[in-house]
Amino acid sequence: MNAEQNKPTRREETAGLIEYSTENLVPFGPIHPALKEPEYFKLILEGERIVEVIPRIGYVHRGLEKAAEMRPWVQNMYMFERTCGICSFVHSLCYGQAVEGLTMFQVPRRAKYIRLIIAELERIHSHLLWVGLMGHWAGFETLFMWKWSDREIVLDLVEAISGNRVHKSMNAFCGVRRDMPEGMEDRIVERMKHITDRAHYYRQIIDTEETMLVRTENVGNKVDQETAQKLCAVGPMARYVGLRQDVRLTDPYAAYDEVPFDIVTRNEGDVRALLRLRLDEIVVSANMISYAVEHLPEGPIRVKIPPVIPAGEHSSHCEAPRGEIFYYVRSGGGRIPERVKSRQPTLANIPIALELLKGQTLADVPVVLTAIDPCFGCMDRMSFLDTDTNRQWTWSGEQLRLYGIKHYFPERFKE
Amino acid sequence: MSETLLERITTFAAESNTKAVPLRKGETLVEVDQANIKAFISHLLNDLALRHLATITGLDLGQNLGITYHFIQGQETIHVRTSVPKTNPAALSIVDLIPGAILYEMEIHDMFGVTFTGNPWIDQKLLLPDDWPADLPPPLLKTSKPAEIRKRLGLETAQK
Amino acid sequence: MFEQITKWARKRSPWVFHINASSCNGCDIELVASLTPRYDIERFGAVLVPSPRHADVLVVTGTVNAQTKDLLKRVYEQIPEPKLVIALGACAASGGVFKGCYNAGQGIQDVIPVNMFIPGCPPRPEAIMYGILKLLGEVK
Repeated sequence: MNAEQNKPTRREETAGLIEYSTENLVPFGPIHPALKEPEYFKLILEGERIVEVIPRIGYVHRGLEKAAEMRPWVQNMYMFERTCGICSFVHSLCYGQAVEGLTMFQVPRRAKYIRLIIAELERIHSHLLWVGLMGHWAGFETLFMWKWSDREIVLDLVEAISGNRVHKSMNAFCGVRRDMPEGMEDRIVERMKHITDRAHYYRQIIDTEETMLVRTENVGNKVDQETAQKLCAVGPMARYVGLRQDVRLTDPYAAYDEVPFDIVTRNEGDVRALLRLRLDEIVVSANMISYAVEHLPEGPIRVKIPPVIPAGEHSSHCEAPRGEIFYYVRSGGGRIPERVKSRQPTLANIPIALELLKGQTLADVPVVLTAIDPCFGCMDRMSFLDTDTNRQWTWSGEQLRLYGIKHYFPERFKE
Repeated sequence: MSETLLERITTFAAESNTKAVPLRKGETLVEVDQANIKAFISHLLNDLALRHLATITGLDLGQNLGITYHFIQGQETIHVRTSVPKTNPAALSIVDLIPGAILYEMEIHDMFGVTFTGNPWIDQKLLLPDDWPADLPPPLLKTSKPAEIRKRLGLETAQK
Repeated sequence: MFEQITKWARKRSPWVFHINASSCNGCDIELVASLTPRYDIERFGAVLVPSPRHADVLVVTGTVNAQTKDLLKRVYEQIPEPKLVIALGACAASGGVFKGCYNAGQGIQDVIPVNMFIPGCPPRPEAIMYGILKLLGEVK
C-alpha cells in the first residue's frame, strides 16, 4: 500500500525507463508500444505496482486557441471561460489581464476587489468539490455529500452576485460586468464564518476518520522540492512539499496586494498533506472574502475600452484553485488576436502526477491521481497493461474506484 | 545593491550577442538562436537561479516558427524566443534541463509540427487524435482552416 | 416498442450512465450536484451506474471531438434496449460556444440518436432533474 523502492533493473528492462537523479537525466522513458486505444491515462504495471504512466489528455481538446484567432477580443473572454467549468472565472480573469496589459487603461479599484471576491469564492467551491471527490474516490461517500452540500452555500453567493452558478461571466476588459448587490455584505460574512467552521470540522475528520487515514496517509511517492520545480509543478502541488509558490503572493494581481493573507504550505509530501493544505486554503480564502467585502472601495466597476487592441505581446498569470494559470496574447493592432496561448494548471501538474504514481499500487491510483486535482473527466477511462501477465484491460473511472475500495475495505462487499 | 532580474538578463544578452527587448510592465523578450538556446537556458537556471518555466508557446511567424519559453520570477517575466524555419522545423529539446517541459514541447509538435530532438515522447500525440491524417498540416499554422480540419476528422454536421 | 418502454419505466427507476464527450465539466458538475442532498435526484430513483451495460439512460455532456466520437458510438451500442439518450447542455445540443472549432462537433445527434435536449450552459440541477423526469413522464 505504501511507496517502496522498486527494483530498477527489472523496470528498466520492461519499460525502458531511465532512473531519474539530480544529475539531469531524463525521467521519462520511451513509450511502451503496446497500448493504442484513446484512453485518457495508460498505466503499465508489474503485478500490482505502477511502473509507468502515459497521459493521453486530448479527449477534451477542441481547438480554442485557433478559434480565438477568428473571434473578437471580447468574445474570446467568454469562450475561454468555458475551458473549464470549475475554474472558469480565473480563465477569463487571466485572459483579461493579459489583454489589459496591452492597453493604457487601468482597472478600477472596486473592480479589483470584486474580482478577488469572485476568484476566492471560486477557490472555495473548487476545493470543496475536490475534498468531496476525494471522499468519493476513497470510499467515504458521506464526505462527498457533505462537501457538495457546503458547496451549495458558496454557489448561492456566486449566483446572487453574478447570476450564474458555474460560468459567471463576471469579467470584462478593465472591470467587472456586475456590481456587488446591496446588502450582500452581512450575508457573505456570515456564510464565510459557517464555511470556516465546516472546514475546521473536516480538517479534524481527515486526521481521525479511518477511511481517509488509511487511504491518504503516506500514499503517493514522496518528491523533494527540487524535483517538484524541475517537473514544473504549480499551486498546491508545489506548496505541499514546502515551496512558497503562489502567484497571489509572488506577483499580486487584482486586489491581492491590498487584502492580507497567508499562503499555506506543508511538507509531509503525501496525499493527506494535500487534503490538509486545501482545507486550510478554504479558511484563508473565507477570511480574504470577509475582509474584501468589509473594505470594498467605492467607485466605478468598469472602464470601457475600444474594441481594437494595440499591437504587442503580453502575458499574465493567476493563481487558479489548481495552480498557476498562464495566458499569452499577441496583437497585430486589430479587432481579433493574432495568437492566444492558454496553459491550464492541470497540464503543468501532470509530470509531477506521473512521478507520484510510480511504485504505487493499482488500488491507490484513483486517490493519488485525484490528489493533483485533475480535470473532472480525466479519470473517466483508463487502460492498463500488466507486464507480468501481459493482460490488458480498460476501466471506467467508476470501475477503478470500486476496485480501490474493495481492495482496502473488502468487508464492505461481503453479502 | 540588487540588480533586477531584467537588468541581469539584458547584461548577459548583450555579452552573448543576443537581443533583449523590454516589453510592457515587467516583461522582457530575448531572441536566441537555436545553436545557443540550451546554453542560454542553462545560464538562466544555474546562474540566474530562475526556477519557473510557465509554459512554451509556438508561433507562426510567416517564414519561421517561433518557440517562446516563458520564465517567471516574482513580478518579472522573461520570454526567450528561438525560431526554426518552416522548411525544416527541427528544434532541440530542453527536457534534460527541465523535465517538466516534456508536455509543452509535445503540444508545440502537435500544433505547429516542430520536432524536438531529445524529447522521448515527441512521436506521441498529446492533444490531437492519433488518427490525425498524415497529410493534414498542423492546426495552428495560419494557413490551416478549421472547416477543412473538421471535414477531415469527420466532425462536419448534417444539420444546417 | 412503446409498450416495452412503458413496462420498463413502471418496473424500475432510471439507471443513468454519464459520459463526458469533451465537456468543460460545467454540465458534469451540475449533473453530479443533482445527486447531492439539496437536489437529491435519487429520491426519484435515478442512480448513476458504473457501466453502460447496466444503464437505461445515457446522459452525454460536451460536444464530441475526434477522440470521443467513436467512444460515444461504442458506449451507445453497449447499452441494452430499450434506451434513451439525453444531450445535456448547449455543447451536446449544437456545439455551444465551441461551434466552429476545428476539433468540435456540432452536437451529439450527428453521432447517436437523441431523445431529449436539456439546454443551458450549464443547465441548473433543477433543469437537469426536470428534463430527466419529463423524458420518463412523456414515455409513460
